[in-house]
Amino acid sequence: MYPPKIGYVIPDNLEETIEFLEKHDGAKVLAGGHSLIPMLKLRIVKPSYLVEIRRLNSLHYITKTGSEIRIGPLSTHYEIFKANIPLLSEAASKIGDPQVRNMGTIGGSISQLDPSADYPAALIALDAKIKIKNTKGERVEPFKDFAKDMFTPDLNQGEVVTEVIIPNFSDYKYSYQKLERKAGDFAIVGVAVLLKTEGETIKDARIGLTGVNNVAVRATEAENMLKDSKVSNEMIEKVANEVVKYANPVEDIRGSVEYKKKATKVMTRRAILEALKR
Amino acid sequence: MKVIESNQKTKIHLKINGNDYETEVEPRRLLVHVLRELGFTGVHIGCDTSNCGACTVILNGKSVKSCTVLAMEADGGEILTIEGLAKNGKLHPIQEAFWEKHALQCGYCTPGMIMQSYWLLSQNPSPTEEEIREGISGNLCRCTGYQNIVEAVKLASQKMRITTFQP
Repeated sequence: MYPPKIGYVIPDNLEETIEFLEKHDGAKVLAGGHSLIPMLKLRIVKPSYLVEIRRLNSLHYITKTGSEIRIGPLSTHYEIFKANIPLLSEAASKIGDPQVRNMGTIGGSISQLDPSADYPAALIALDAKIKIKNTKGERVEPFKDFAKDMFTPDLNQGEVVTEVIIPNFSDYKYSYQKLERKAGDFAIVGVAVLLKTEGETIKDARIGLTGVNNVAVRATEAENMLKDSKVSNEMIEKVANEVVKYANPVEDIRGSVEYKKKATKVMTRRAILEALKR
Repeated sequence: MKVIESNQKTKIHLKINGNDYETEVEPRRLLVHVLRELGFTGVHIGCDTSNCGACTVILNGKSVKSCTVLAMEADGGEILTIEGLAKNGKLHPIQEAFWEKHALQCGYCTPGMIMQSYWLLSQNPSPTEEEIREGISGNLCRCTGYQNIVEAVKLASQKMRITTFQP
């Protein structure tokens, strides 16, 4: 399979990038290319130009301060996996396969916003913020607002994700559990859990779900059930049942609605148990 | 800023297995096709859908699926293909291990499998069995059932550790 005829732009800096994108309606950003190039080969998209940003080193960093972690959009999934970021590194380690993780970037992944992608479950649980730049300036918004609908991030033509900001969750336990049909697949369901414990009591709980809605969601009622409760098998069972109410999967090649809902319950239970083991 | 129109070709420079190559490509050209046309037919096209990993090469120190990389993205880069592993007719330890452990039957997945193993061992010189299985999860094999491949990677890691300790 071959991509269609496309133009190719190599900008010297971010300003040239966003200027070009704004002027050319059909131009698309090329970062890792592991969503874009398969789409080009299937001819699902036919951009006028690809704007290659891999050489823009100013977008390629992972910086930890006391209160937050700032991640440049060109950081690859492998680099994020190696960076020891609570929950996010584990989610990154489950994306695709090793070769995909060497090329795929977090900026590219969230700009694509596949409903079965792995990062969104973690990003929504982490209350991540996304920085976006255009020719007029920059804005920062919560990931849950950035993720408007499937394949529909809050990104207009001429806009580029310039940073992902993660608050400090270093005192939390965490786990990301992904059910995949085969190695390297998208998630049938992905459950991201963050738990703050004090002895046997859970002081804070965050549960992010991907693959079972148009966008990732927080299972807030289930989170509330866990807060100020003591860990027990009955509690985990109740919580897992509650989380299923937040799943609205569609039947597709990866399973029926009933199967996916059952899988959501199982993976939620696993995620809580794995998190508690930390 | 450089702009290449869709009907234009441009020159790219690739360092492949230690040697310099220059070729003209359209922006849409895939790296796997450029490599194969330059004679590196050990780089195989298996699925074309980024699944099977038979096209795996090392680009700038990272294993990548060359069917999902544009040639333009590799411009100025260093590439290692299966053809670049053996030195002066002597097989690389990974190739020896694949031979000794009978880790191939038809051989189609093998170049990609070996290149991915090469990268895996560069990141993790002593992988456990589980780490090996995870580490090659981007490479599919229809013949062997993977068992001998895993054994071969284990043996290769031992061989390579012994070589680094030799004075």
